[in-house]
Amino acid sequence: MFTLDWFANFGFSVFRLSTPLIFAALAAVINRKAGMLNMALEGMMLSAALGGVACAGFSGSVWIGLLGAIIVGVIMGWVIAFSNLSGKTDLYLTCIAVNLAATGGTVFAMFLLTGEKSTTSAAIRAYTLPSVTIPLIDKIPLIGPMVSGHNILTYFAFICVFLVWFFLYRTRMGLRMRAVGENPQAASSVGINVKRIGYISFLYSGVLCGLGGAFMSMGWVSFFMKNMVNGRGYIGLSAMNIAEGGPVGSAIASVFFGFSDALATTLKSQGGTFPTEFIDMIPYAATIIALVVISSIRMSHLRKIERGGK
Amino acid sequence: MAQEVLRMEGITKKYDNGFVANKNVTFWLNEGEILALVGENGAGKTTLMKVLFGLEAPQSGQVMMNGAPVKILNTLDAIGKGIGMVHQHFMLVPSLTVAENVVLGIEPMKNGLFDFNAAVSMTQEVADKYNFNIDPKMKVADLSVGQMQKVEIMKVLIKGAKIIIMDEPTAVLTPQETDELFEQLLLLRDSGHSIIFISHKLEEVKRICSRVTVLRHGYCLGSYDLKDMNESDISRLMVGRDVVLKIEKDDPKIGKPVVHIQNLVKINEAGKHVLDGISFDIHAGEVVGIAGVEGNGQSDLSDVLSGMGGFSSGTVEVNGNDIKGKTVHDIRSMGMAYIPEDRMEYGCAGNMSIRDNIMADRFFKKEYKNGLFMKEKYINDLVDKYIQEFEIACDDRNQPVRMLSGGNIQKVVVAREFTSGSNFILANQPTRGIDVGAAEMIRKTIVKKSREEGTATLLISADLNEVLECSDRLLVMRKGKVVAAFPKANEVSESELGEYMLGLKTMTAEEMEGLL
Amino acid sequence: MNKTRKIEMTVELIRILVAVGIAYAIALVTLFLISEDPVYIIQQFVLGPFSSVRRVGSIINQAIPFVFTGLCFCFMYAVNKFNLAGEGIFMFAGCMSTLVAVNLGEGLPFPLMVLILLVVGAITGIVMIAIPALLDAKFKANIVVVSLMLNSILVFLSIWVLKYQMRDPSIGAMGSYPLPDNAVLPNIFGKFRIQAGLFFAIIAVILVAILFYKMVFGYKMRVVGSNPLFAKACGINMMGTIVAAQLIGGALAGMGGTCEILGNYDRFKWTASTQHGFDGLMVAVLARRNPLLVPVAALLLSYIRIGANVVNSKGDIPTEFITVIQGIVILLVAAEEFMGGFKKKMIYKAAEESLAKDKKEEVEEIMSEDSGEGKEQ
Repeated sequence: MFTLDWFANFGFSVFRLSTPLIFAALAAVINRKAGMLNMALEGMMLSAALGGVACAGFSGSVWIGLLGAIIVGVIMGWVIAFSNLSGKTDLYLTCIAVNLAATGGTVFAMFLLTGEKSTTSAAIRAYTLPSVTIPLIDKIPLIGPMVSGHNILTYFAFICVFLVWFFLYRTRMGLRMRAVGENPQAASSVGINVKRIGYISFLYSGVLCGLGGAFMSMGWVSFFMKNMVNGRGYIGLSAMNIAEGGPVGSAIASVFFGFSDALATTLKSQGGTFPTEFIDMIPYAATIIALVVISSIRMSHLRKIERGGK
Repeated sequence: MAQEVLRMEGITKKYDNGFVANKNVTFWLNEGEILALVGENGAGKTTLMKVLFGLEAPQSGQVMMNGAPVKILNTLDAIGKGIGMVHQHFMLVPSLTVAENVVLGIEPMKNGLFDFNAAVSMTQEVADKYNFNIDPKMKVADLSVGQMQKVEIMKVLIKGAKIIIMDEPTAVLTPQETDELFEQLLLLRDSGHSIIFISHKLEEVKRICSRVTVLRHGYCLGSYDLKDMNESDISRLMVGRDVVLKIEKDDPKIGKPVVHIQNLVKINEAGKHVLDGISFDIHAGEVVGIAGVEGNGQSDLSDVLSGMGGFSSGTVEVNGNDIKGKTVHDIRSMGMAYIPEDRMEYGCAGNMSIRDNIMADRFFKKEYKNGLFMKEKYINDLVDKYIQEFEIACDDRNQPVRMLSGGNIQKVVVAREFTSGSNFILANQPTRGIDVGAAEMIRKTIVKKSREEGTATLLISADLNEVLECSDRLLVMRKGKVVAAFPKANEVSESELGEYMLGLKTMTAEEMEGLL
Repeated sequence: MNKTRKIEMTVELIRILVAVGIAYAIALVTLFLISEDPVYIIQQFVLGPFSSVRRVGSIINQAIPFVFTGLCFCFMYAVNKFNLAGEGIFMFAGCMSTLVAVNLGEGLPFPLMVLILLVVGAITGIVMIAIPALLDAKFKANIVVVSLMLNSILVFLSIWVLKYQMRDPSIGAMGSYPLPDNAVLPNIFGKFRIQAGLFFAIIAVILVAILFYKMVFGYKMRVVGSNPLFAKACGINMMGTIVAAQLIGGALAGMGGTCEILGNYDRFKWTASTQHGFDGLMVAVLARRNPLLVPVAALLLSYIRIGANVVNSKGDIPTEFITVIQGIVILLVAAEEFMGGFKKKMIYKAAEESLAKDKKEEVEEIMSEDSGEGKEQ
């Protein structure tokens, strides 16, 4: 069973399943650096996934579909920014409300567009973003099939890790955003518009969620399905949480969660008598366990310092 | 006469909660002068400056600069018009470097990206020009308080401000740092800057300002030439009566030790020894004062004694009970009462009523409950009694605390802590930021409790007058250590105290023998 | 400042009414725009819930689980913890009660049976809600993320129990063995067909209100929720209070799940999350975390839901659009700035009046005091 092919396939699916998590985690990183915990990644990605499929279907172009997904992601981000920054609604509550509205709203919108209530696979033509074969590398055994032939968005996700890092630590906006996140009064006292920075952070996280949503409905599969994001937004958020907002660390944590997701998928396809319900729980249980392990390590570290250890 | 660079005419500002902070205030500033803006806490100084700096929009009134009316819509506008403000609470981002903090808002760019090297050289340039000795590449988190303030001033200067607002700049500085600051302010004045100096410390006002504008209860009482005024004149204008600087008190009748601290060490999250081998006792019937520049371990000491934070090693006993590993609840039941430093954060729940706030430390006691239920009537009567006794100005006991003034909120805190039946009161900055009347009442009550009821009190305060007047024994803390001890607080001079606070002098263990 | 307090309360009430009004209007406009026969559909949406005795009964029937989960979220809200596990617990408690009921069979008398099953629901709720509550308290693991992950796990767990422990092979669809007769809550009020769980809901509301406002624990909980740092400084056992409040909330959500199954179903057949938890969140937000207002909010939500169901059956418009409306209601009610300008204006007016009154006196007083002291420049 554990052949070279098996490992290659498994590795491939780790990267594939990490993709939406990386996008979600990076979106969370940008919001976190601006001082906000964005728990609506789930709803933003779900809406973007539908937006992508719909735009692709109506325009006939997968790229317009991608653009549509990004625009929907940005609109959702704007809604959160508006009610939190301009309307002064509690951010937790805003995000929960947005997720709630997105869960039902996508089904409702899907019904209006297609007359279907669970999936668009029958009503809208399937579009997928192209996959990329990396020349030379794809010839290497094991590594080749693992890293080559992915959807273009998978590669872009890893590029985004660098882009987000560069944005945060090398640009003026990134500097201002970190200042706002750490001490908003200080930033506003030198004339930085804190609200505007907040909006911008939601704009960028909207773009990233748009990419993540597009990957779900136009890369992972080729249609929209009710509640298809399935907790990945929250898992991405946890990845950010574990890495304390660092873009690279968040991406690494995302790959770890992608690994647990791939494990569940592979185990299920292997068959056997083990109830699939328990396998389905793996990604969720892994998230809880990872959160607990990381924070208990952090807390025992703090305690050690307080006790006087150097 | 010098040219007038700024005039604020008829400013009225009302806040959302209905509080009117400025009532038809008129105020002006001449070129190259240091103007003092004085008034009690809550007189409207900070609000007026926030209006000038574009942080608050007034309901009516006009601002004129160099004779022409201007509209200041936001901070950016104010900065653009050459106004800079050094805030009372530092506006710095600790994880960024000095240079990044200084250029924040006017960052130099190269190829569309932030140019860190240019930021460093810009900062160095300002530092050299105005004689600030500071490394632009250091992280702000690693600076001392005095250096942080220099960064704040550099932030203002680099933006080309001609009018500089200083909101209580000396509140957190040592006397020596204050001297250094004043030299710099005079230098700035001579180079053509106009400075608005907000302060409570009248001797400082007298020292560097030429003119004073007095606010009281939101009204402007006018501007006066400081040549013709002495400190008590200003003080009378500010508060409308002579401030009682002396607190009459008998010698303490010292009883047995209530609090015993032996070799207390606390290491914080960053691995720093914030409390480094502290030992002293507090006896029944005496008030022990702790003086020191803020951030030398006083807050940590208060956290340890109240149970809000743990400690690394040593022994602390309250009425003979070891507090190691005990919760706030445990320590309170050993006989501790605690007036926290920050009343809105730790001292009260703003949205809850006066009644609920007063009950918070005792609701679980048998006296106040019937089984699982609270004794409504009994509690209400008791709270009404406290409201009278502590002169809390309010509608009734059900009014949410957030609607009260700062002084009255503090009275609610004090009413709770002073009636808790404890024999050890830990008072951390009990009168910070409240009006003189309330402060006086609280100080007198502290002394009265110790004399009449034999309470042991630890008074931690940044207000030197307060520690000197209220305390019997006085200790000085620096870098987490007790560096000096005086048997009679009211016989210590401020200048002598300053030398110990700054570490110019340290008492040896022998000198402090018997005083701890 | 007494005036300020009154204004604040009045504005708060108006705000909630306007928020619900706006959301309802949005629902109507949406229906109007997408429906082929708008007048009929809107009529059905607005009046449909009252069109038959049975439907009026089902408004109340549907409101019962909302009351339970709404109360559950009142507790979460009171201690400021967004523990959303109530959603999964509602389903899992229904599942566990069914499992126990099926295994106990018909032997026990009706009241004892129902009592046992309610206790099973409550215990299920307590055990499950304790997971995010304790992980938050001990390890500071983000409670929203953990509780949502737990919800997903509970859904799979319920399906597993259903599939492997109590599936009735004799029916085609996925479903448990039928509930024994002594476990089924009877319908009351004749034609209205209201399930007897109503009594439990009413009792729960009363008990929770007493707990909140008259009992020592309720007071403690409110202090902790209103300013945790202050609670700590007063020596209140924060962690204990926060966890205990959540456990009570979990028990309520669990009992809600039990009541729903025993009152409205003949066997357990849920294979997906029921959304009752999130509905409860909205109910708690609308009720401004006041347990006494929870039934009102629950009835309102139920009315809109039934309206949507009627429309769904008549005009084939999916009920999901109601969740969008729910989201809007939460946002509007929770938005401080929504109608904040109105509040400000009212307070200014009051302040202006009192200012005008004492201004004269004060000015005169100050000026007379100061005459002669210092020269005016």
